[in-house]
Amino acid sequence: MGARIAGSIGGRELTLLVAGLVAMAIFAVLSPVYLSAGNLYQVVRNSVELLVVGLGLTFVLAIGGIDVSVGMVLGIAAIAIGNLLLAGADPWVAALAGPLVGAALGAFTGAVIVFGRIPAIVATIGLLGVYRTAIFALLGGSWLSGLPSSLSDIFAARIGGFLPASYIVILAAYLAAFVVLRRTPFGLHLLAVGNAEERARLAGVAVRRVRLAAYVVSGTLCGLAATFYIANYRNVEMTVGSTVALDAIAAVVLGGTSILGGRASLLGTALGVLLIRVLQNGFTIVGLPSLWQPVVTGVLLLAALSLERLAASGGVRRLAFGAP
Amino acid sequence: MPRSTTSTALKLVILLVLFAAIVAAFGLYQPRFLQTSLVSTVLQFASMLALVALGQALIVLAGGAGIDLSVGGIVSLSAILSMMALQAGAPPVTLPVLAVAIGALLGAVNGILVTRIRILPLIATLGTLFVYGGLAMALTAGGSLSGVPQWLVPFGRGLVGGVPYHFLALVLPAYLAAAVILTFTAWGRWLYAMGYNERSAHLVGIRVDRIRFFAYCLSGALSGLAALVSLAWFGSGRPNIGLNLELESLAAALLGGIAITGGSGGVIGVLIAVLMIVTLKTGLQFVNVSTVWQVGIVGALLLLVLLLDFLIPRRRA
Repeated sequence: MGARIAGSIGGRELTLLVAGLVAMAIFAVLSPVYLSAGNLYQVVRNSVELLVVGLGLTFVLAIGGIDVSVGMVLGIAAIAIGNLLLAGADPWVAALAGPLVGAALGAFTGAVIVFGRIPAIVATIGLLGVYRTAIFALLGGSWLSGLPSSLSDIFAARIGGFLPASYIVILAAYLAAFVVLRRTPFGLHLLAVGNAEERARLAGVAVRRVRLAAYVVSGTLCGLAATFYIANYRNVEMTVGSTVALDAIAAVVLGGTSILGGRASLLGTALGVLLIRVLQNGFTIVGLPSLWQPVVTGVLLLAALSLERLAASGGVRRLAFGAP
Repeated sequence: MPRSTTSTALKLVILLVLFAAIVAAFGLYQPRFLQTSLVSTVLQFASMLALVALGQALIVLAGGAGIDLSVGGIVSLSAILSMMALQAGAPPVTLPVLAVAIGALLGAVNGILVTRIRILPLIATLGTLFVYGGLAMALTAGGSLSGVPQWLVPFGRGLVGGVPYHFLALVLPAYLAAAVILTFTAWGRWLYAMGYNERSAHLVGIRVDRIRFFAYCLSGALSGLAALVSLAWFGSGRPNIGLNLELESLAAALLGGIAITGGSGGVIGVLIAVLMIVTLKTGLQFVNVSTVWQVGIVGALLLLVLLLDFLIPRRRA
């Protein structure tokens, strides 16, 4: 346990930090406006939702699961929050409604996977379709716009003229997640299930409950991300959340959380999110159309996984001559 | 494996009953639905999904958590890249070969990621889905590429005895060939064997990685063929033509009786499932249900078939 905590700030996190700084230096050379406060604020603001969704997805990947429907959960929760605000609800009620709707959807997703015994990827692809239709139906073919600014006044207010207030909540969420993951039996069980499910079961871990809980945590955080989304943008468009899943999965994997489960790095997730947003923003600043963003993220994800695999086993020889 | 045969047969019966129920429901609600042109319409729309779903089925069948989420991306990117090659001066005659070859190449990238670098199929093909689909959009800035040679258009829209050319010339032969290969050749038996139990297959000398690599190439080539059908049909290359095909092809493969764990199922069921899904979509359009409901209904269908799969006794409990 001690080694694991020490190992949680390791080479991977340092690599991400260095990569991010190098990228920023290159963009700064290429564009004079890159290091302006206005642009850096853009990066910080655009990272808000992904930091929260990524945190939840870290729990899902830690148990060896996956969820490609996270963006749609964010979207549905955002619609709920938006409608509450339009109906004149208190902003704090609306803010809490996000995580509640997210938790309910996360519980549903988890139940389908755990009790239906369906592979998580197939289940969440199906749910992605169902949730997307739900978003279309709930929006009724038009944007949700002109939302009151009451949530923005709370969460989009800038601390010291720069950092959005939502970062206080995000920091608290990461600290809470760290304590849960490293200091509670639940965290231990989570990693045990991801590491070797059968052995965890034999050791008396309530495997199904732990797996379900991971999806509930992820859904709740998607709902929290929706609260921040509304605070930031004050509208919900039809395509809400369509790139969230790829960005979040890439960030979590870049951060060193194993796609096979059993290993999680919260700091890595945060740095992975920031690196992705730094790159997306930088490429846009130097003139690459935003349509290229999924290409950049996808290549980053595959490159990170490939390097990890090649470094772990046989190196480039495997690529040239096949598996031994 | 008598029990697996029973469950496959049972799944086929359930599928046919469901298919009949869908046709009957739309027919009762709107008798005009049951006109003879229905067959032509359904087959016209079915070809692309049928080709893609065949590739998906083979990959899932081969086991090892096999899945190809990038099929839609391959369809879009092969259509775009082969049209770009034409605009760059490639002879128009080569368009069919180009589309299929580019598809196979993109599939080969998946195959390398999965069998050589050993990235989990779901995450490798999720990555390539966004890379391929993103490239198709980025290279065209979202617009269509026109200039499909005129001689190709009849192939995309023509009928022989009410059946579209591409269904007769591509889909039926592809499924027949796949059924024959799976049932009567060593390659087919190897595919089932490795899907059923990869370790034993490896131990008896089946070259698991090579076959799996080939399956990903084949899935890519079939997606390339689907791209060709789209080019001939619409007369232009559309960068988002492959949208949602990962969901629909998975739904078709699993509805058609392919076990998600691999090693069991056949391709004829997949073809029936494709026809059923397309009939359902056509029917929904016929009764003026907005197309945005289609993706949700197919998604729900995918979940239902898997929950059903859970109720039918499995051979590997």
